[in-house]
Amino acid sequence: MKALIVDDSMTIRRIVAKALANVGITEYAEAANGLEAVKAAQNDQFDVILLDWNMPQMTGIETLRSLRAAGNKTPVIMVTTEAEKARVVDAIRSGVNDYLIKPFTPEHLAEKIKRLVPLSEASGQKSEARA
Amino acid sequence: MKPEYINPFVESISQIFDMMLHTRLQRQPLRAGPTRFSRNGQTLTSIIGISGEASGVIALCFPRQTALNLASRFLSTELKEVDGQVTDALAELANMVGGSAKAKFELDPPPQLSLPTVVEGCDYKMRYPTRSVWVEVPFTSDAGPFVMELTFSKS
Repeated sequence: MKALIVDDSMTIRRIVAKALANVGITEYAEAANGLEAVKAAQNDQFDVILLDWNMPQMTGIETLRSLRAAGNKTPVIMVTTEAEKARVVDAIRSGVNDYLIKPFTPEHLAEKIKRLVPLSEASGQKSEARA
Repeated sequence: MKPEYINPFVESISQIFDMMLHTRLQRQPLRAGPTRFSRNGQTLTSIIGISGEASGVIALCFPRQTALNLASRFLSTELKEVDGQVTDALAELANMVGGSAKAKFELDPPPQLSLPTVVEGCDYKMRYPTRSVWVEVPFTSDAGPFVMELTFSKS
């Protein structure tokens, strides 16, 4: 089980990684913007992508559209401060699988991940990859 | 700046500190004008802009020790020097406050957030947007005091 954490904030990447570890996902790659994320998704297979919205170079929604246009069907959870209904609708129309609004607790994130990915496969993964 | 615009920002920052930093804030009386903490450069200010259907700027102004305490809590590790980890944590706090507060106005299309910026030192003035009125909301907490400087208007 491998995750891609996409956020321009190192702080959030670290918090998300810790929350993933709590549900047994310890293998992950990081991307600090959408361009890095798209590249990582082209070069590697992920089971879930945690995607911020406001990022330099390529925003989260642009990243999501790019991934889906390329046929990438990896489950994507938007993890963002963008909480307006219009934003959520836009993300759903663009192919997001779930939406988590910051601030959040590790439990909130765990709940979202459990709904999307078969966590029984997550245990035992110890390696860490970085994009 | 209309007084009713202040509460969404106060609610947002209180919720963020409670949920992600396990820090309960005590709001102090509002002030007008810049009254930063020190004159020796030991202040860090995290700034983010809002533009679109609403516009404004939020600046979170932290004494050095408050910044270190909050970043340490955010990252679950003890930080003793101001480095990239501290500025990243402060930038993300401004990002969350801006995003969370603007969402409370439910404007369509939603206003845009700028990328946050962290300024070290206090010998500066914020003058944008033009003709803006700034208010200060001071807070105390067990991580130390800080001030949220704010200007906001809806079109």
